Amino acid sequence: MPDPVPPAVSLPSAARRPISVPDLLVALGVVLLGLLLLIGTNQIATSGMNTVVGPRVFPLIVSVGTLLLGILLTIGVLRGHRAEPAMEEDTDPNAPVNLAPPGLILGGFLLGTLLLQPLGFVVGTAVMYFTVAFAFGERRYGLMAGVAVVVALITYLLFTRGLGLTLPAGILKGVL
Amino acid sequence: MDAITSLFAGFETALTPINLLWALVGVTLGTLVGVLPGIGPALTVALLLPVTAKLPPVSAFIMFAGIYYGGMFGGSTTSILLNTPGESSSIITALEGNKMARKGRAAAALATAAIGSFVAGTIGTMLLTFAAPAIAEIAVQIRPEAKFSLIMLAFVTISATFGGSPLRGLISLFFGLCIGLVGTDLQSGQARFTLGRPELLDGIEFVTVVIGLFAIGETLYVASRLRKDKASVIKLEGNAHMTREDWRRSWKPWLRGTALGFPFGAIPAGGAEIPTFLSYTLEKRLTKHPEEFGKGAIEGVAGPEAANNAAAAGVLVPLLTLGLPTSATAAILLAAFQQYGLQPGPLLFVTSPDLVWGLIASLYIGNVMLLALNLPLAPVWAKLLLIPRPFLYAGILVFSTVGVYSLNNSVFDLVLLAIFGVIGYGMRRFDFPVTPAIIGVILGPTAESFFRTALQQSNGDYSTFVRQPLSAFILFIVALSLIVPAVLKARRQSAVG
Repeated sequence: MPDPVPPAVSLPSAARRPISVPDLLVALGVVLLGLLLLIGTNQIATSGMNTVVGPRVFPLIVSVGTLLLGILLTIGVLRGHRAEPAMEEDTDPNAPVNLAPPGLILGGFLLGTLLLQPLGFVVGTAVMYFTVAFAFGERRYGLMAGVAVVVALITYLLFTRGLGLTLPAGILKGVL
Repeated sequence: MDAITSLFAGFETALTPINLLWALVGVTLGTLVGVLPGIGPALTVALLLPVTAKLPPVSAFIMFAGIYYGGMFGGSTTSILLNTPGESSSIITALEGNKMARKGRAAAALATAAIGSFVAGTIGTMLLTFAAPAIAEIAVQIRPEAKFSLIMLAFVTISATFGGSPLRGLISLFFGLCIGLVGTDLQSGQARFTLGRPELLDGIEFVTVVIGLFAIGETLYVASRLRKDKASVIKLEGNAHMTREDWRRSWKPWLRGTALGFPFGAIPAGGAEIPTFLSYTLEKRLTKHPEEFGKGAIEGVAGPEAANNAAAAGVLVPLLTLGLPTSATAAILLAAFQQYGLQPGPLLFVTSPDLVWGLIASLYIGNVMLLALNLPLAPVWAKLLLIPRPFLYAGILVFSTVGVYSLNNSVFDLVLLAIFGVIGYGMRRFDFPVTPAIIGVILGPTAESFFRTALQQSNGDYSTFVRQPLSAFILFIVALSLIVPAVLKARRQSAVG
């Protein structure tokens, strides 16, 4: 398989590599998180308390720590450091990154979440199941829909009848 | 001897039919999730927490212990039969085990892994049986300053000392600490970082964090760069079994692996990865068949697998005696204890002896069950690797949804789950380890509580942490664990450049 990575990434010299914009955004994100935590720490009410260690002390340590670590990471990125994506069992390190499937999964998940209470648990999770299978490249629609409904139904019955949890029945109320 | 008497009482608890059943459910589930990619023992215990809230704690923990040990057994099956390893601690097994399998010796590789895991697990559990009560007795006297310092030690070793990048590990840890801060401060009653949302007053459920970072993050990440070629699963003919020659070459590596693994698991040194590497190096040096190493040497499977399982038993020592988790799964077990209102630590042996000793006894039983499940049934587990990935990951997502939704029957939690899923994706993409974040979420509030107790006792004098001798000593080691790897790295780099 030919190397699909753009040439800028495969330059051998670590020190001379251009700054990676995604890495920089992540590093600045950590700095931003530190700053927001600092602001949040200042908003914790401490009035009228005479404890030795108030509710602000530990958050202050965490905020300052996050901020400092974020600054260190930013400096590293500006000097050309970049992160190596993780290796997982089912991933191909040489495959071109495609953000459409994760986007689809996320969309399906949020749609299923919205449907969970009005239409019921079985419909909501079946929608989620179907979108994940689709995003992973499965195209036998009948099979996918069938398995989605069966998995959702079994899960529902297992958790409500078997384990005594309450899950929204929705449109299947009275049927199940 | 006290430990023996207590252990017998533990067996009485664990050998009741209902608890044997829970142990069987646990080891079966554990092997299952160990074999399947995309889901592991840490995630499974987290998923089951809301479900088990109604079980008696002893039964729940017997099941969790089965999942914990079972995950280790199952993980080796995957790394031997599939060409890519699951957990970092099975990289070595994949190295030699997969080569063996390719040469048609899959049965022997699986057998030496399973029997080695059994031997190491059993010896490890024996060491736990005697070490834990002894350590607990000493640990009762540890003061809050030193307890805080111990948590710092776990934080630093897990996130900075042994990971690929200390900076990224620490950022992950601090992210976890931030999440742990959200909610009402128990000592002052003040809301912290709740963004005005009433749902956040009780804090963020760690189950949501764990499932989001592990399951959803993993699903999104795998979807973004899915392996297009079919993963090549090696066919297994018949049971897992070994020849006399295999036994002769395996038993010493098992014992050496156990000796390396247990102490590494017991000190907060970041889990099972290091001892498996050490065991592999050791076996490579001692073997009479050096030409086979890298091409499928049985010693290279036997030693690291034993080390891996002995470390898993070792991890339970600091967890039960000090309340200090040193791996992601241990952190979730700690949270499980807290869900039942129990605080692992030296007092647990006094306050809930039934639970602790029932748990330890169930580890012996679980090991026997796992051996019986894994030798004859190896071909069945191997079949699981053939589940088409679209259906597998879709199922993982649905179970994650049930697990999180059933916490509070709240859609808000599911939105949080999606957010943590995206963060989990980002952590994989940008090389941030997930375990430090989990440890941070679960141990952060405990750390803060010891921190404040210590300072209240000293009237706000911060020097109490370095004046109390044990605490000062631990903090000294914390400093070393931060500085030494950085210095070594700098020296290596200057030597290369």
